[in-house]
Amino acid sequence: MSGGGSKSVLVIGGGIAGIQAALDLANRGLRVYLVERQPSIGGRMAQLDKTFPTMDCAICILAPKMIECDRHPNIELLTNAEVKAVEGSAGDFRVRVLIRPRYVDPDRCTGCGVCTERCPIEVPDEFNMGLGPRKAIYIPFPQAVPRLALIDDRYCVRCGLCERVCEAGAIDFSQKPEELELHAGAIVVATGFSLSDASVVGEYGYGRYENVLTALEFERLICASGPTRGELLRPSDGKKLKRIAFIQCVGSRSLRPGHKPYCSSVCCMYATKEAILVKEHDPDVDVVIFYTDLRAFGKGFQRLVEKAREEYGVKYIRAKPSEVREDPATGDLLIWYEDTFTSEVVEKRFDLVILCPALVPSETNRELAKTLGLEVDEHGFFRAADPLISPTDTHVPGIFVCGFCSGPKDISECVYQASCAAERAMEVVLGAGR
Amino acid sequence: MRFLFFPGCTAQAEQYAYELSARRVLPELGVELVDLPEANCCGYPIKAVSPMAWAYLAGRVLAIAERERLDLLVLCNGCHLSFYELKWAIKQDRGLLEKLNELLSREGLELKGEVRVLHVLEVLHDLVGVKAIQRAVKKSLDGLRLSAHYGCHLIRPSTLPRPDDPEDPRKLEELIRALGASTLDYPARLDCCGSGLAAFHGREAIKMAGWKLSSIRETGSDGLVVLCPFCMKMLDGKQAIARRLLGRDVEVPVLYYTQLLGLAMGFKPRELGLHLNLSPVEKLLSGMGVSM
Repeated sequence: MSGGGSKSVLVIGGGIAGIQAALDLANRGLRVYLVERQPSIGGRMAQLDKTFPTMDCAICILAPKMIECDRHPNIELLTNAEVKAVEGSAGDFRVRVLIRPRYVDPDRCTGCGVCTERCPIEVPDEFNMGLGPRKAIYIPFPQAVPRLALIDDRYCVRCGLCERVCEAGAIDFSQKPEELELHAGAIVVATGFSLSDASVVGEYGYGRYENVLTALEFERLICASGPTRGELLRPSDGKKLKRIAFIQCVGSRSLRPGHKPYCSSVCCMYATKEAILVKEHDPDVDVVIFYTDLRAFGKGFQRLVEKAREEYGVKYIRAKPSEVREDPATGDLLIWYEDTFTSEVVEKRFDLVILCPALVPSETNRELAKTLGLEVDEHGFFRAADPLISPTDTHVPGIFVCGFCSGPKDISECVYQASCAAERAMEVVLGAGR
Repeated sequence: MRFLFFPGCTAQAEQYAYELSARRVLPELGVELVDLPEANCCGYPIKAVSPMAWAYLAGRVLAIAERERLDLLVLCNGCHLSFYELKWAIKQDRGLLEKLNELLSREGLELKGEVRVLHVLEVLHDLVGVKAIQRAVKKSLDGLRLSAHYGCHLIRPSTLPRPDDPEDPRKLEELIRALGASTLDYPARLDCCGSGLAAFHGREAIKMAGWKLSSIRETGSDGLVVLCPFCMKMLDGKQAIARRLLGRDVEVPVLYYTQLLGLAMGFKPRELGLHLNLSPVEKLLSGMGVSM
């Protein structure tokens, strides 16, 4: 199987940046191959409840774009797929893509979900950051694109129940990995980010204390489509949450071993957003944000912080907590900190502690960099040719980067960088227009 | 298993019960203790005043152990860290190693820094093993609920190899449970005993010990198990003053793990030096149906 040509562009990564780039390119009449490693496009943004600073519903903005990608005559979605090899040069890249089997025939599956109901195997749901279960045959999330079931080979026991109940006859255990060869004139890379391991900061107890969560776990907990349907219940005992703390810069802005020296750039604001969400759920909940410096630098950011503080009563304390300890009798968490405005040393009790860990580039970046001939920095972010005047160009002509994979940025920055990368790719594919 | 035994100054000068109980229980578990006749202080107390004096004192003990071709078994957390820090320092600074060897050569000693230094916790947990300790129990401590205190120097700094995890150590609890007792977590589990502050801010140091003890009392613990003579001095020895300073009850029976192990192995309390403990260990003993 092969396809494409010099008027085609390969987009690697189907998060908000990859989606934006793909749509821009496709709307200019170019053929786009959008390759996504996960079974659905959507990326991290699909996991978010709201966006800052406008407090819009994230999936409500994202889902129409995802569907547009799916329906666009110029876009071919290749999900559950990886770029394996790239040869050639600008204007004529030859790309090998590996498509992993879903064991579900995409032409037959209607996305009805009956197979999922009947599947007896429950495993932690990655979309909900492991806070809830999913089945071995599953649709990644309600708004998944493509809305197709797939079987997770790591857990499926081949009991055949799904095969029996699928009225469309879509289950196909005979599927094999498939390799596809594509031709593309240019490549846009948008592989996004993951969270660093918060247990690196051992004194905060992540992984040891049930009521210490990462911000992305909390984002799922507070989301109406999350594991508790948006009810703020404590993981250890299902108790209603009344006292919540956020800790900023967990594993970042530090030279300690295993920590990242840089600022992840979005945590001050998403913590503010999540704190407001908590207050909107229940105004009586006490919310404290422990911050290093409050970095509210974007348009409307400072106003959102003021709103959180003045209108919602969110408390901001400038402190780097030294320790989170658990009271084993109650599961409550005690935070020790020095308020660096008042120099007071305080111990404060919380029901839930939310850590904002360093955001890091996707773990596959280094391998992908080798495949594409790109450079990564010491943290694994793709290096731009010149971060100041050509932020989406790379050292390889015809290959462009955008979004979080080249350095920390928020959604709107990712989007305009994606449009920029798309434009640069068009110049390669369509000619500079002299 | 043969070790060169290094009890450290504090155990030999005032915390006799630690050495006494260690000498009782370890040989029973197949750990042969060889005395170090030319021993000196590990150097830690003088480190802040004269780093070279510290390095020489710690280096001399390591050099003797190397000459004897035996690993060191250490009782005190401070001594253990002192030796580890020196091993680290001579790797960082070869000039320091040369200087030390120049000084040590007067006694015909030579330091390479290759000798293994083991804390009694490591010997019991990693070498003797939980299973062998379970087999050695004659009188199960079933029904006792105990709390563990590791001591800062045993688990920190996290950048040096230490016997257990700096944030979530578990080996002492495992050893306590091996004797049939259960263990209790408590929020102040990793808090300092206050000893590091004792020489300069005595009252604050004793308050720290008191906070820790009262946090243990709140859990309804039957006793606190320690591994370091300095921690013992604070947590066992300063309860009356801590009570006065904090204005609340801080009474908790405190004993060394080697004493607890000895009780479970059937030794009499006096054979383990329990009559030297200053905290109300009688309460713990009567809970076990044992009298002093």
